Amino acid sequence: MTLLSIEHATKRYRRGRLEHIAIKDVSLEMEVGELVAVWGARRSGRSTLLRVAAGIERPEEGTISFEGRDLARWRNSVLGSRIGYCQTSFASGGRGLVVEHIAAGLLAQRASPTDAMRRAQEMLVRVGAERCGQLECHELDGAEVAHVAIASALVTSPALLVIDEPTNGVDLLERDPLLTLLRSIANEGTAVLMSTGEAQGLSGVDRALSIDNGELRGDVKPRDAQVLPLRRVSWRGDVAEPGARRQ
Amino acid sequence: MPGEHVFEERGADLAGCAALRSQVACAVLGLVIEKPSHGYEIGQRFETRFGAFLSAGRSSIYAALGSLMDAGLIEKMAGRSTTGARRGAKAGAPYRATAAGARAYRAWLAERVRTDPQRVEMLGRMTLAGVHSVEAAVDFIGRYEQECVREAQELARPQRSDGVVSFGIAGVVERLLIEERRRMIDAQLAWISYARAELRAAESNHGAENEPR
Repeated sequence: MTLLSIEHATKRYRRGRLEHIAIKDVSLEMEVGELVAVWGARRSGRSTLLRVAAGIERPEEGTISFEGRDLARWRNSVLGSRIGYCQTSFASGGRGLVVEHIAAGLLAQRASPTDAMRRAQEMLVRVGAERCGQLECHELDGAEVAHVAIASALVTSPALLVIDEPTNGVDLLERDPLLTLLRSIANEGTAVLMSTGEAQGLSGVDRALSIDNGELRGDVKPRDAQVLPLRRVSWRGDVAEPGARRQ
Repeated sequence: MPGEHVFEERGADLAGCAALRSQVACAVLGLVIEKPSHGYEIGQRFETRFGAFLSAGRSSIYAALGSLMDAGLIEKMAGRSTTGARRGAKAGAPYRATAAGARAYRAWLAERVRTDPQRVEMLGRMTLAGVHSVEAAVDFIGRYEQECVREAQELARPQRSDGVVSFGIAGVVERLLIEERRRMIDAQLAWISYARAELRAAESNHGAENEPR
């Protein structure tokens, strides 16, 4: 089932007299439970694409539908509930307990405070950040910020998690576990759309796309994607693992 | 063989794939794309262009031309008689690339550049043989980028149990090898970004030069 469908979206920004086209005629489809990564350099349009996909920004041209409905009309009710947009700069400079920040998303949906706190704590356990619940937001390190940001976006049980550069600011050795977490979230049925500026972010994803100068390349539709076996690298040579794409 | 999956992926026939198993055939195809020529002239250009890297006698050149013809990657041009009447393709007519040949060559080249860095100099010359415009160069860069992205996607993520780094030496070595591959790909992708910037600058400079004053 097509969860998200972007068709011929173009987004422009105006800086003084200059007009900058951030994304050009971009089309993209995602299915339930897919993990899609978009590689791009800085100023390639990768972050704009994610904001447009999440309904945070509206394109001047093109249409976006989510769960079969026009996102432009529906975004106020789905952003923060059916769509989780994740910024890894989550409250890193803020005050207050982490668990309270995560619960805030549920309180906004009129959950009871007890329920909201319980589910926030469960979500911290899910992402492996249970130790962070009683910390102040400003006490978190880079990897903890990323995990807590994911928990915050997941607490409303979205069908789509959109995450911009999840490994940004995360220590080298912490990056693969974080990306493995995103893989497991997709395996459980929440589609994940992420951007990355590094090859590391592409390992084991269902579809790897690239964006440059606002133009998206690669298999933009799931049916176009070719499932290739993962390759293990060892000193004895590469070994393909048939059917082992989902790790 | 790296070129093999390019063919399978794009639905081209396996005969084309087999034809491009030979480096001589790939080089000959690049020369034919650059300029339709007779077999003798191709042999001369081959020696000038690739003589320092590949050795191939006249018989190898003609064998390569034959296999490329069989695979539908090149064809003989229909000639004209001295009176102007059209004649069908004949033995002495020059060779030219088919559309399938041009596509196959670009696909092979993009993958080859990634997987065979030791031959960068030769590939650079071959690239020049197949790329005649900024548009064609941008197309080539795009294909190269897709190959890099695909390789990164295929690399298995290092195994760690419950997010905890395993300190066994085998696990550490595996992670180091994967990380080395990834950083190579990052370098290739960075080069691609740079190359695109250069090509855009070249295109805009060319456009400015051609504007009426």
